Amino acid sequence: MMGRTIFIDPGRCIGCQACVSACRECDSHRGKSMIHLDYTDEGQSVASLPTVCMHCEDPVAPCAEVCPADAILVTADGVVQQADTTRCIGCANCVNACPFGVPKIDLQAKLQMKCNLCYDRTAYGLAPMCATVCPTGALFYGTVEELQAERPGVQVADTFTFGRSEVRTGVAMVVPADRVRWPVPGGLPVVEINGKDVRR
Amino acid sequence: MRPGAGRRSVTGRATAAGVIVSALLILAIVFGSRLLENFDSALLPYAVATVFLAFGVAYRYTVWVSAPGARRLFKQGWRSFFSVANFRKAPTALPRMIATYLAFQKFLGARSHARWAAHQLIFWGCILAALITFPLTWGWFTFTSNSGSGPGYEMRIWGFKIIGFDSLDFLGRLMFHGLDIAAVLVIPGASYFLWRRMKDRGAITGQRFAYDLVPLIALVVISVTGLLLTFSSIFLHGGGYEFLAVLHMVSVVFTLIYIPFGKFFHIVQRPAAVGMQLFKYTARQDQEVLGCRRCEEPIDTGPYVENLRSTMRDLGLDFDEWAEYCPRCKRVLRGSAYLSQVKRGFK
Repeated sequence: MMGRTIFIDPGRCIGCQACVSACRECDSHRGKSMIHLDYTDEGQSVASLPTVCMHCEDPVAPCAEVCPADAILVTADGVVQQADTTRCIGCANCVNACPFGVPKIDLQAKLQMKCNLCYDRTAYGLAPMCATVCPTGALFYGTVEELQAERPGVQVADTFTFGRSEVRTGVAMVVPADRVRWPVPGGLPVVEINGKDVRR
Repeated sequence: MRPGAGRRSVTGRATAAGVIVSALLILAIVFGSRLLENFDSALLPYAVATVFLAFGVAYRYTVWVSAPGARRLFKQGWRSFFSVANFRKAPTALPRMIATYLAFQKFLGARSHARWAAHQLIFWGCILAALITFPLTWGWFTFTSNSGSGPGYEMRIWGFKIIGFDSLDFLGRLMFHGLDIAAVLVIPGASYFLWRRMKDRGAITGQRFAYDLVPLIALVVISVTGLLLTFSSIFLHGGGYEFLAVLHMVSVVFTLIYIPFGKFFHIVQRPAAVGMQLFKYTARQDQEVLGCRRCEEPIDTGPYVENLRSTMRDLGLDFDEWAEYCPRCKRVLRGSAYLSQVKRGFK
């Protein structure tokens, strides 16, 4: 986990979309929002999940690894940058390989875009736009110590399972204290689709 | 395989490719200039730089296409290119892609019209300059005059006469000032990008001096010193010509050697992207589109997703079956798993 990073607590998310609007103001992708806000059980529950780039550390950035054009740079501070505009060929390898479903692609412009942790701000010690405007603290930017000072007893996890694989990330999620030793399930293997058991 | 052995074998192959390509270029220079008879020794530093360029490009290209992601797409691209069945189905696909993608870079227009226009200026300026200077420095082009100083000239390629022209007529002036025209195209394009790199906050984010600014500065320096050489010979009777010639040569040699290692490498990479487009296009012609396993939204072509899954397996990314789910469904399924297994009810 990076020193100062984003901590996501879906339990606090009220689905207000403030993060989505604020993300559009980020200088590196002005006018386009890179954060995703999904309603996981639409129509049945108000639960919502904000998704920023998780800045995978181990394996290092699967999106960058599968990129055929070496377009995705990982900076020394662990931030996985969005595709270099000169190199990106718009193949969508990164979009489909990302286990978290983060990168977006503009097929006309042949260009991938994704959350870069508001590098124009975080490089200068400012919080990313989404964490700055989140009214409930579902997106918190800081160190784990700062988070725990503000929210005593809170625990975080930075490892996710996808089938037999584990992915350790730079961005972490808030988890209950008894779950901190276990990786967070990433959704794979898929258990059921639209009410149908697909385990077999 | 021992740790590091794979990397060493790639380095070995890349070095061999570099040596072979540069040796072939040297042979092409020797024979193309009729055993150096037409070789202009004043252009020797440029010719040497192109040999280094050939080595660097071949080396970097080999390293690049050795990585799993690039290697698999590279193979599929060439397979689509050489497929007779594909050619029969869509004979115009490849020339259309080369024109829209490589020559007129339509995709840049979708990013920004101003950037597209500036890039087109640089692109055509550099193409023109390369077509003139590379054969000249290799001794492939010669301009000879029976009278010694013109105005009637003959243009020869590999010693064979192509055309005869008067250096004072329109065609002659156009040919003699081809590099000035190239400079006039490049200067506004490169200046726009330099201005943008200083003013546009999006461009400034994460920009690196050596990667983003040096190539633009190099283009401007080459173009301006090139124009000044013409200015010196026409208006200053050659005043300062030698100094300008050295400055121009240093900037060109530096840029040629920089090409394989910096931003300019995209010039070499881009054509491979056409192969990727062709690979996707031909599969789409066959209606081979794969839908998300959960919501059935089209993800990409079936062969393309299979190619990606193979790349992921090559890299030890064992969650390759995830590639058959669309990004939104991946997020929703992860959210549902969190909701049911980690923090029930998101409490």
